[in-house]
Amino acid sequence: MIARFLFVLLLAVPLLFSQGCSQPDSNIIRFGLSSSPLRLDPRFATDATSSRLNRLLYERLTDFDDASRAIPSLANWQQLSPLRYRFVLRPNRRSFNNGERLTSADVKTTYDFVLNKKNASPHRSSLVLIKYVRIIDPDTIEFELNHADALFPSYLVIGIVSEKAVQRGVNLDQHPAGSGPFTMRDWPEEGRLQLQRRRDKQVFEFVHIGDSTVRTLKLLRGEIDILQNDLPRELVNKLRQDDSVRVANRTGSNFSYLGFNFLQPQFADRRVRQAVMHAIDRKSLVRYVLGGKTRVAESILPPEHWAGNDAIKAYRFDPGQSRALLKQAGYDAEHPLRMSYKTSSDPFRIRIATIIQQQLADVGIKVELVSYDWATFYGDIKAGRFQLYSLSWVGIKSPDILRYVFHSKAVPPDGANRGHYNNPLVDRLIERAEREADMDKRAQLYRELLIILHDDLPYIPLWYEEHFSIVRKNIKGYQLTADGSYDYLSEVSRQN
Amino acid sequence: MLRFLLYRLFSTLLVVFGVSVMVFLLIHMVPGDPVDMMLGESARPADREALRHALGLDLSLWVQFSQFMSGLVRGDLGVSIHSNRPVSELLLERAPATIELALAALLISVVIALPMGVLAAVRRNTLWDKGAMAFSLLGVSMPNFWLGPLLILIFSVGLGWFPVSGREYTGSLVLPAITLGTALAAVLSRMVRSSLLEVLGEDFVRTARAKGLPERIVIWKHALLNALLPVITLLGLQLGVLLGGAVITETVFSWPGLGKLTIDAILRRDYPVVQGTILVISVTYVVVNMLTDMVYGIVDPRIRLGNPK
Repeated sequence: MIARFLFVLLLAVPLLFSQGCSQPDSNIIRFGLSSSPLRLDPRFATDATSSRLNRLLYERLTDFDDASRAIPSLANWQQLSPLRYRFVLRPNRRSFNNGERLTSADVKTTYDFVLNKKNASPHRSSLVLIKYVRIIDPDTIEFELNHADALFPSYLVIGIVSEKAVQRGVNLDQHPAGSGPFTMRDWPEEGRLQLQRRRDKQVFEFVHIGDSTVRTLKLLRGEIDILQNDLPRELVNKLRQDDSVRVANRTGSNFSYLGFNFLQPQFADRRVRQAVMHAIDRKSLVRYVLGGKTRVAESILPPEHWAGNDAIKAYRFDPGQSRALLKQAGYDAEHPLRMSYKTSSDPFRIRIATIIQQQLADVGIKVELVSYDWATFYGDIKAGRFQLYSLSWVGIKSPDILRYVFHSKAVPPDGANRGHYNNPLVDRLIERAEREADMDKRAQLYRELLIILHDDLPYIPLWYEEHFSIVRKNIKGYQLTADGSYDYLSEVSRQN
Repeated sequence: MLRFLLYRLFSTLLVVFGVSVMVFLLIHMVPGDPVDMMLGESARPADREALRHALGLDLSLWVQFSQFMSGLVRGDLGVSIHSNRPVSELLLERAPATIELALAALLISVVIALPMGVLAAVRRNTLWDKGAMAFSLLGVSMPNFWLGPLLILIFSVGLGWFPVSGREYTGSLVLPAITLGTALAAVLSRMVRSSLLEVLGEDFVRTARAKGLPERIVIWKHALLNALLPVITLLGLQLGVLLGGAVITETVFSWPGLGKLTIDAILRRDYPVVQGTILVISVTYVVVNMLTDMVYGIVDPRIRLGNPK
């Protein structure tokens, strides 16, 4: 009986292994993702992957240039008064994927939906200054504001959805109704999304592979054609030596920093913050750990940003100066400065934290590293349960971030001033800049503000991480963008 | 038998209720906020509050729990906070992959462990025995997060026999099933060996041999059948575990099963999905154990379930 049972089992093994599988379509171009997209409805999408994919499915009224200035996308605009803007839709715009023409009614539907409080769109706050949206004709629409804001056009970056689809109650997460260069083909499971390019029906599959090593191996074996970012440096270096793939990189603007808790008395002393700054060898970290086109940062806004400041004098790595500052602040070998340093459980972040811990130890600062999973770590940071922490700001476009992070009234839950930084001069400059309607003068005020922040060090600026892509050699046309979007997929082709 | 089934059904309901309460409380006690996970760092406070309100997360814990329980009674496991899809839909989408992987791993482990355990017991203290036990030790010691990538390197990248990961290719199941099945085969073969050794010393085996039965019949028909009870218990327990999703193996191989769904939901603090998956896993575990108990009666007719006489 048992022998018979084993025989049946042996027969069942190959049968099982052939179930539920089919050969992959070799015409599909596959893009490896480190995280799955969650929402394909642009009125709700907030995570980076969803936002990048939404850009392929929908068009927006405005977009950004490399200096983060608003530029026309679906529409050109005209400021009729400080409180009124007129947008005229591009005549050669694409229609929706169901063939209907995109009109100002679709724009109004999209923004009215976001502004309706009961819909709980996460984009409502940035648009709440809109008093109403008025259709002038099918190609023209006007926005009336409650108060003047010179940055208003840069807020209109939400994908425009089809009014008819909304009226029919279509679930846009499952059936995106946009006018972008791509349309959804299939979403068989959360980690596997297929989009089709409208102009030539080329199919792209976005595959979520959480493990970076497995992602790399899939690329090498040809199961994936394109990877972008989110790989450890050593894997990128290994891939550079492989003939089957091509590695490209470009500068990015995602800002990494160390944040202090000013409620801890030792960090209220500027000499201590400066001592930490001088003790960290950022250039070596960039050269040996991050590499490529990662740049040492001096402020939250990169130098190429329209409000950025490229004249800020960089802090130099100077352990001697660091020890001297610590001594002035009352710390020495007998009474060393001690602190805990919180970071996420991401292995790469832990590695960087370990190096910084060693560099601080070299000047006599005793650092205890604490790492948690992202949700716990972030919860602690928001609640102010930290002394020193490391994080990054991703996708910064508007200088509004300066109020959100450094204004004394922006302490959580009202903002992200988690360290309770309080500098009246900084508060005044932020408020003055926000009132300034002239963009050049406004930029100048922000530049002054960045110098003060650089001197006062509520954050230790670390670096702007590079963007990189690794593409199989038979894939042509893929390029990196400044904000890491996937926009160039509209140009990609496979050459056999 | 009917009495046994009714008793187990009642205890299953109790387990489901207990698990529901525990999972609900534990996931809400864990630090971290699903709204933060969804909106990221730069979201404005008003948007956070609006979303919290829309999701009902601003209600008291008691109200949230009553809503969850009343939904459960109606068979409604709620909607994923992150993907806005019904939890039951997500579970149905992922379950086939997990069942496929669990059965394949179990199959591999049985195919390896039974002959190996019998060989080790019958040829005790020989090189066969030592070899089998060395494999067993190795299998138990190798963590799946190491064995998985090792198999990928050898069989996918090196030899090109199988795909690296995913479920969409022919042969996708082989490497994850071997990864998952190896440790189970190791434990199982040890269990078969020790159980069989115990039975081989029993009187009825000596009687069978004295009757002049061929050794093959004595071992496979008489001894092994009697040695199977503890093995079936272990298999039942392990199948329950496997059907709950093999988190590490599913992560390494991007296998779209319940384990990956659960771990992703925990990391995102997607409360309804965590509650739904753990509930389903618990029920699966209870049902598999009940079926295991019923198999006892088939393997050993002396065992009569639910009949103390």
